[in-house]
Amino acid sequence: MPREIITVQAGQCGNSIGSQFWPQLCQEHGISQDGNLEDFATEGGDRKDVFFYQSDDTRYIPRAILIDLEPRVLNGIQTGPYKNIYNPENFFVGKNGVGAANNWGDGYQTGELVHEEVMEMIDREADGSDSLEGFMMLHSIAGGTGSGLGSFLLERLNDRFPKKIIQTYSVFPDTQNDNVVVHPYNSLLSMRRLTQNADSVVVLDNGALSRIAADRLHVQEPSFQQTNQLVSTVMSASTTPLRYPGYMHNDLVSIVASLIPTPRCHFLMTSYTPFTGANVEQAKTVRKTTVLDVMRRLLQPKNRMVSTIPGKKSCYISILNVIQGDVDPTDVHKSLLRIRERKLATFIPWGPASIQVALTKKSPYIPMNHRVSGLMLANHTSIATLFKRIVRHYDTMRKRNAFMEGYKKTAPFADNLNEFDEAKEVVTDLIAEYEAAENADYLNPEGDQAAGEAGDKRVTNLKMSNQQQSKADLIAERQSNLPLPEDPPVASDWNSADARTVNVSSGERQSDISTGDASSTGLREPATKGSGVRQEGGADLSGVGRQGKEGLDGLPKDAKK
Amino acid sequence: MSSSSNTRASSRVERKPTTDTGSGQGKPRASAQQDRSRNERSDSRATQSPQPSTSGTSHRRTASGTQRTNRGVEERRTERVHVSTRETLTKRTRSPERRTAPSSHPVERPRPAEPSRTYSEDPRPKSKVEAPEVPWLPEVSLIPHTSAPLASRISIPPLASQAPQALQPKPLHELSLEVQEAAILEDLLMVFMGYEGQYIRFSKTYNPSVEKDRLAGPGYKILPGLDPSLQDLTTTMLKMATHYGAIEAFVEVQSREEFGAVNHALCAAIRKLLQDYLILVAQLETQFLTNPAFTLHVLNLHTLPTSHMMFQVYSLAHAILKRNSLLEEDLEDSDDGLDDIENILETLREEGELGPGNIPGKKICKGGSVLGLITKRLETMSGDPAARSLLTSLLRDASRPYMMMLNEWLHHGSIKDPHAEFLVREQKSIRRERLEEDYTDEYWERRYTIRDHDVPPQLEGVKDKVLLAGKYLNVVRECGGVDVSKDVTDVPRSFDDNRFLDNVNSAYAHANESLLQLLLTTHALPARLRSLKHYFFLDRSDFFSSFLELGNSELSKPVKKVNTSKLQSLLDIVLRQPGSVAAQDPFKEDIKIEMNEVSLTNSLTRVVNISGIEQGESLQTPATAQTSNESDKAAIGFTSLQLDYSVPFPVSLVISRKTVWRYQALFRYLLSLRYLENQLLTSWQTHNRAASWSHKSSNKETELLKRRVFTLRARMLVFVQQLLYFCTAEVIEPNWQALMARLNAKEDGKGGPSPVRTVDELMQDHVDFLDTCLKECMLTNSRLLRVHSKLMQTCTLFASYTGHLSRELERTDPDLAGVEKPAHMNQSQWARYQTHRSQRQGDSASNPPGGEDARLEKMWEIVKKCEFHFSRHLQILLDSLNHYAATETVVLLGLCARLSTANQGTQYSGLKADGDAAVQA
Repeated sequence: MPREIITVQAGQCGNSIGSQFWPQLCQEHGISQDGNLEDFATEGGDRKDVFFYQSDDTRYIPRAILIDLEPRVLNGIQTGPYKNIYNPENFFVGKNGVGAANNWGDGYQTGELVHEEVMEMIDREADGSDSLEGFMMLHSIAGGTGSGLGSFLLERLNDRFPKKIIQTYSVFPDTQNDNVVVHPYNSLLSMRRLTQNADSVVVLDNGALSRIAADRLHVQEPSFQQTNQLVSTVMSASTTPLRYPGYMHNDLVSIVASLIPTPRCHFLMTSYTPFTGANVEQAKTVRKTTVLDVMRRLLQPKNRMVSTIPGKKSCYISILNVIQGDVDPTDVHKSLLRIRERKLATFIPWGPASIQVALTKKSPYIPMNHRVSGLMLANHTSIATLFKRIVRHYDTMRKRNAFMEGYKKTAPFADNLNEFDEAKEVVTDLIAEYEAAENADYLNPEGDQAAGEAGDKRVTNLKMSNQQQSKADLIAERQSNLPLPEDPPVASDWNSADARTVNVSSGERQSDISTGDASSTGLREPATKGSGVRQEGGADLSGVGRQGKEGLDGLPKDAKK
Repeated sequence: MSSSSNTRASSRVERKPTTDTGSGQGKPRASAQQDRSRNERSDSRATQSPQPSTSGTSHRRTASGTQRTNRGVEERRTERVHVSTRETLTKRTRSPERRTAPSSHPVERPRPAEPSRTYSEDPRPKSKVEAPEVPWLPEVSLIPHTSAPLASRISIPPLASQAPQALQPKPLHELSLEVQEAAILEDLLMVFMGYEGQYIRFSKTYNPSVEKDRLAGPGYKILPGLDPSLQDLTTTMLKMATHYGAIEAFVEVQSREEFGAVNHALCAAIRKLLQDYLILVAQLETQFLTNPAFTLHVLNLHTLPTSHMMFQVYSLAHAILKRNSLLEEDLEDSDDGLDDIENILETLREEGELGPGNIPGKKICKGGSVLGLITKRLETMSGDPAARSLLTSLLRDASRPYMMMLNEWLHHGSIKDPHAEFLVREQKSIRRERLEEDYTDEYWERRYTIRDHDVPPQLEGVKDKVLLAGKYLNVVRECGGVDVSKDVTDVPRSFDDNRFLDNVNSAYAHANESLLQLLLTTHALPARLRSLKHYFFLDRSDFFSSFLELGNSELSKPVKKVNTSKLQSLLDIVLRQPGSVAAQDPFKEDIKIEMNEVSLTNSLTRVVNISGIEQGESLQTPATAQTSNESDKAAIGFTSLQLDYSVPFPVSLVISRKTVWRYQALFRYLLSLRYLENQLLTSWQTHNRAASWSHKSSNKETELLKRRVFTLRARMLVFVQQLLYFCTAEVIEPNWQALMARLNAKEDGKGGPSPVRTVDELMQDHVDFLDTCLKECMLTNSRLLRVHSKLMQTCTLFASYTGHLSRELERTDPDLAGVEKPAHMNQSQWARYQTHRSQRQGDSASNPPGGEDARLEKMWEIVKKCEFHFSRHLQILLDSLNHYAATETVVLLGLCARLSTANQGTQYSGLKADGDAAVQA
């Protein structure tokens, strides 16, 4: 009767995250390592049955399906401390155990082969729940199994359960140094399924994750375990409204629906604060957390778990803040007003612009250093830059048909490579959709001509800002480590319909201060002094930014070897 | 003198004859005649003068006593016959003796054993009216019992003034001074006891058969011819006799049943005083008989303090009688007009609680007001020590029964008040069984009330405490929660006790604590409230969401067709699911499903209009009522669903019907929001999933339309969710926390918000909490209600259009209508869509194939209309919210700030200046 959610973990990455996620849920619900309820877990008020069901001997068993084509990670789980909580029937390991060789096509075609077995598991779980709300898929889109098999599963789930919500937690590759060379291919192909077959995608970026982990936990080279812990924290936080039901937001639909106004723009980014590294002493700093503080931190770019490059016009489509802990509603209200006054968040000009707040309880069983913690789920147009990066990388590789052989061997590409082109088109459309959403005339384009021109301009603008923004992003990052300077209060015009009065004014002010529109991040933060990079970039765009710096024009560096 | 005892006084009559006979003079007395007695009296006068020198009492007694008794002999002869036949009457037959009636009434004779009740009234008029013609036949008889135990039971003796001439005494002027004094002394002793003497008679205006006269006290007149100095002295002393008569009558009247226990106690106390008074008279008589030096002056000296006391008692009695309007009826009749109506009403209301003997329309001074009168007199007389001690003792005695009632009430919570004199009135007709349908808190408010005009001044300051203490204890006793059967010892028994106020206070504290304890601990009021919160405010709405899901088909039906018992069983299933809050709730059985056919807006509008919050609104009531009836017909299960909650007795005082009504209103409001949210979520799912919506059409126009639809839906969703968030997180939850804090502060002791101190405060807090919630949820303002309901209607309409729009989209979208797979679709999606479409081929074929452009045009129209209505009404809502936030409810400002964003991007996104100012304020 609760709105159950079945978790599907695909691939190495997905299962690693899962192996952190389930213990965390167990701890929050007071479930011991063998699945029994701990003696102290008597407070109640939580819904364990969203993610767990009870076996005949009243042990709690996760509604989880663990799929991988290579046995390493799953073996780790099966020998780990929480091995007993899983239903052993829900493990699926590829028969030959060789994995998908980081090849999307491989994963996809294996999916076709094993689909009956996997679907059988999913059906069994689905039948075991009274009112299944949907699925949660954990995977990465860079590798083979998570992306290929994951994509396949997404299609099938959509087909099989057309009324159920599918939410994915997708780990995007770190575009700068990912150990999978062909990640642009895999990502692009998966992106198409994420766009077409998922209802909401929580985008997590390996690069951003390790950056945050390094920052927060004070470790130079964060391990995957540590980044995965971040992911599982985010996941558990985003599901607290379901697990600790309150007045509102106690099913997945109501959370997701408010975030996603238009169907295709369903890629969400997250921030979480404050992070505590359970294992790292230095990260256990205690500070005073207030609602305003938490909300403000959530809006800071450095806390976002996605590396995006917000453009001048980038804005939020929607925000949902899940605030956990002991919170006075009036504080929330005040904080919202403050944020609005200071224009800490820019919203789309054409639609309802609001920060929604879901207040939830904290798990009573885990002592927390912080009074308040918060998770932001946001739909931000700058996510398109991430996709753009993928497309660009894909383009450069595709131009030279690098590594195409491996794909051609697999079933989806046996005939032709149309799949690639179709996928690219879908992703490009998606990017265009996001960019269109940044405009005030999203709902009322004034004639095709004007729209076309504006579009052209925008493209060039974007190109410009794109590269300059990366610098601005760096600046923003630095600054966010400093205490935020108090902006003088400005007469706010927060609910103006006219984008020109909302957005342009911020841009104007910025350009007055800084040397170019490079610093116009859309966020009000003073620019630092001009740097050589920007000056240079102003002169020659091709040599600046990451593209210039990291030599992304040519083949990826590992491809050259 | 001091040797005399009570019995002596009461049996004077018996003793007298015996002493007389003992002195061996019975015979001569029996045969004595009037003239002889006169002679003897003159003798006695003559012999009296030498006597003062002699010291032997016996000797003197024979000397003067003989004469004096001899004089009475001739009157007493026949009387003695009577006495012997009716022993019980002996003490009362004194005055007839005096009046010298040789023969008895002929009618009386045949049945001396059974005193004639039937004739009780007869002798008096006869003897009065017919006296002049009829021979002098003084006769007394027993009269029937009245309800006054202290009342005289003997008919009034005939008046001396009507005695035949033969019996009239020798005129005073014929007597010497000594004899005059002796006669007057003798007469005074008689008169002191309320009888006529030879020379001192009732005044002409006095009619002993009229109660009013008796209560006013008999006036006496002295026959002419008395020596002036003697007359002066006598006149002063006669006042005491008047007082005595009046007091006796007062005692007689006031000890009737209907005058209540306090009056009875007062009468008893006064009677005791009268007894002492009679003893004094007896002693004076002894003096008179034995002491030759006993003169009128001595008598006067002896009676002075007593006279004072009698005067005090008399004036008190007079005051009480005046209050009773037993005196001066004629005067007060006109003034009493208004009071009478009240009194009659009260009598009617009390349904015969007053005694049958009571005259309707007559205010009876009893209980508290008697005590109040005594106290008032005590205050005015506080400078007079004698009067003070007298009144104090009277007050003490009179307050005893009252204190018993008070203690019973304070310590046991029950009223034993047959005469309706206690300060708390109980209305037995209001029973607690009727709490179920008690929408006005009648039980609590009206069952026990204070008789405001009957509160003794000592209790005036604490009367509320007294009322509450008993009320609380009453509840506690009815629930058997606390043992109240044990006797409370060591309580003050009267008003002048020092611990009197302490007693009230401690009893109040105890009662309050017991009831709070009973409610909070034994009957788990906080848990009750929490469970109410679960069910009516849906603070953990997971169980309710699944109920709505399960009952969806049933709830979508028109309200008349909804199967309530089916819904009830569904609810029971949901409530029993392990894991939901309800599963652990011990009170889940108390929740019931109901259907209320009147829509929420209408019922609230009605309430609002009745209370007349806004002038001018009420003028439109008939119009809204008409429309309301129409819309009510369209009610479906979702809009009519409401919960009912049955509460057991003591808790139902706090969670009364009128609070449950408030809970229901809030619940229906939240439900309507939630239902709307669900509808919008469903349409979101359709938009996200249906191929016609989610795929990117090549037709720009179509794509644009979709965007508009999406945005409008998002806007509505934001509106609903923000409203829901506001109502729950910003209105209900904080208010709830405040209520709980006040509840719990009691247990914690100090710190934090001021704790709930009394049960009444608790009840008030609870109602206040609900009222605040209603108000802050905008349910008490008809204007906001109207705008809100329009918005809801628009949203509902839009949500219901989703299906229609989807179908239309399929037909108009050139990509989907075609046979080829559109570029942006998956193979599988396309396949699914096609099977889907082919299933519905039948429907679409039946529809006339209109031009695609026309269809598109129509869709645009619908969407634009919805957009327009939504934006406009939202704008109106925002404006009025702003207005009311500034004028009445500040909290609405928060909602205003929240909702203002929902309109962003439309032409209605105004409100800039106002909104900003409001937000920043």
